[in-house]
Amino acid sequence: MLSEFSAIEGRSPGYWKLVAGLGVLVLMGAGSFLYVEHHGHAVTGMNNQIVWGLPHVFAISLLVMASGALNMGSMSTVFAVKQFEQFGRFSAFLSIALLIGGLAVLMLDLGRPDAMLLPMIHMNFRSMFTWNVFLYTGFMTLCLLYLWTMFEYKQYKKFVGTAAFGWRLVLTTGTGSIFGVIQGREVFGSAITAPTFVAVSLTSGTALGILLLAYTYRMTRRELDDRLIFGMRNAMIFFLVLVAYLLVVEKFTRFYDPASVAVQTWILTGPWAWLYWLGVWGAGVLIPLGLLFNRTIGNSVSGVLMASGYVVVGAFCFVAHTLLAGQSYPFDLFPGYTITSAFQDGMAGTYMPTLSELLLGLGGVGISGLIYLFGIRFFRMLPAKGEVPKGWEVPWNP
Amino acid sequence: MTMDRRTVLGLGGAVAAGVALAPGLHLIAAPATSTGNTSPESASRPGKRWAMLIDTTRCSADCTACLTACRTENNVPVFGDPDRDIHWIRKVELRDRNLRQPPISLPVLCNHCENPPCVHVCPTEASFIRHDGIVQIDKHRCIGCRYCIIACPYKARSLVFYKTKPRADANHAVPIRAAGVVEKCTFCAHRLDEGKLPACVEACAKADKGAMIFGDINDPNSEISQRLLKEKTQTIRADLGLKPHVHYKGI
Repeated sequence: MLSEFSAIEGRSPGYWKLVAGLGVLVLMGAGSFLYVEHHGHAVTGMNNQIVWGLPHVFAISLLVMASGALNMGSMSTVFAVKQFEQFGRFSAFLSIALLIGGLAVLMLDLGRPDAMLLPMIHMNFRSMFTWNVFLYTGFMTLCLLYLWTMFEYKQYKKFVGTAAFGWRLVLTTGTGSIFGVIQGREVFGSAITAPTFVAVSLTSGTALGILLLAYTYRMTRRELDDRLIFGMRNAMIFFLVLVAYLLVVEKFTRFYDPASVAVQTWILTGPWAWLYWLGVWGAGVLIPLGLLFNRTIGNSVSGVLMASGYVVVGAFCFVAHTLLAGQSYPFDLFPGYTITSAFQDGMAGTYMPTLSELLLGLGGVGISGLIYLFGIRFFRMLPAKGEVPKGWEVPWNP
Repeated sequence: MTMDRRTVLGLGGAVAAGVALAPGLHLIAAPATSTGNTSPESASRPGKRWAMLIDTTRCSADCTACLTACRTENNVPVFGDPDRDIHWIRKVELRDRNLRQPPISLPVLCNHCENPPCVHVCPTEASFIRHDGIVQIDKHRCIGCRYCIIACPYKARSLVFYKTKPRADANHAVPIRAAGVVEKCTFCAHRLDEGKLPACVEACAKADKGAMIFGDINDPNSEISQRLLKEKTQTIRADLGLKPHVHYKGI
């Protein structure tokens, strides 16, 4: 044990301003939900080609980050990286907070949110969604147990922490497979989608963890050794390279297949190409890698924070691109023919999100944020001082 | 009453565990239903397998008799919002990219696949297959998750984006429309159960086109079985292996 765990005071105006700000987000999200529920999904930007819009992007991004947020805990519990042990509680709790926020958005965006408990009663065990219901609830159970063992029963920590680590890999594989198993739409249906989701969860969860730790310690005027941030930076670099590798392999295998060339060319040059290049590659991989490998920026905490911000945005863009480009690509019912109809056959789907969708999505962020803020105030989640173990040094610096 | 941290965490864990396990438990066993090749529909007829053959050589671009009949029979409204209108059946026009053939006009509807991906992905078993092969949606079970729309390669499903009220002249034989749920062609199951043909097929015949043939492919003597045996036909996206039951001639 390096430093005693302690809850934050949570009495400063800054704390309450944050609570109020996130509370407003939650209220606006609730208002937006009622608005859509009252008027039907016609008031959203969604249509019969793009049936999953911005709320799904928020929800799935939060779920991906929820699994990634467990990284710090897993690194210490499963892989014995001792300097992260002090953030195990923070890590597991953040996972729970993000999971609840993401699931809330997912549920509230249903066409029939009043029937949201039906999947608990009538289950189709062949549905990827049903599997995900078990994966989410199971993950939450394991995270709570993991948290409990970290607080009270340290002898079981390794066992439960390892189970939670395995579960989070399966969980994000399940999330990615929602798209990976779909063969009916040309852009989806790839075995590599799920591993890419796992890799993106690793980068974005670590990035969000870095951001929250740094700002929490800064705002509560606690000490956090910079070397801890740099240790996480190194992990993030590794994960970013992994994402880049999977993205390249996916495009390589797709382009190798002559039947997929048209679809893939559309992805790289079509209406959503900007999101792919600027968001997925730019913000999600290249800019953060460029920043982190820079000797000056990569060795400063603010530089790492900036890169982390880009990584979080990149993960959001990755999910958005997967969903929106995947749904926009026109159905190729009759290969070799040009097809037209009154139902937009042969045309790329268009989608412009509305304010109500944005607010619903942000409501989920608000829920996760509030849970986090209350968690660190009422429970001893974080060490009073973030220190490195004696004799430990950052193994590599740019 | 105050609770210490241990109790709060313990309760949290217990609630989460309950939520995780509850789906697998049933207080009262429900009657057996399934998503496979059986269904709870007592009116459906075991042994039959309905299918459709569309002869595109007899279908003309200016005729929309099948579309109109479907809208009337099934009370399908027109919202005037092309992106969000409900289409149980639609006419599409195909043009050869090399312009070697004249344009082909044909209707596209739910293909009532033998291996329907929509039924596969539906989390609540709202989408199911009747004994006679018709893919149906239980509107009371559909939660509007739209995963089926994502999974269907035929764009055969529509979400009801707008709230509607049944019109006075509505056909009361079909269930009323619910906003937020997904719907699609039912092969006019309510008419089949009364021994009638689907509305689109009947309208096509009345318009003197005869482009739509409907029948039981498990009956080797039915017209559709005979024609599928003798004529060169194809299904849409046969490569996906879904075994669709709407066949096309002349493409």
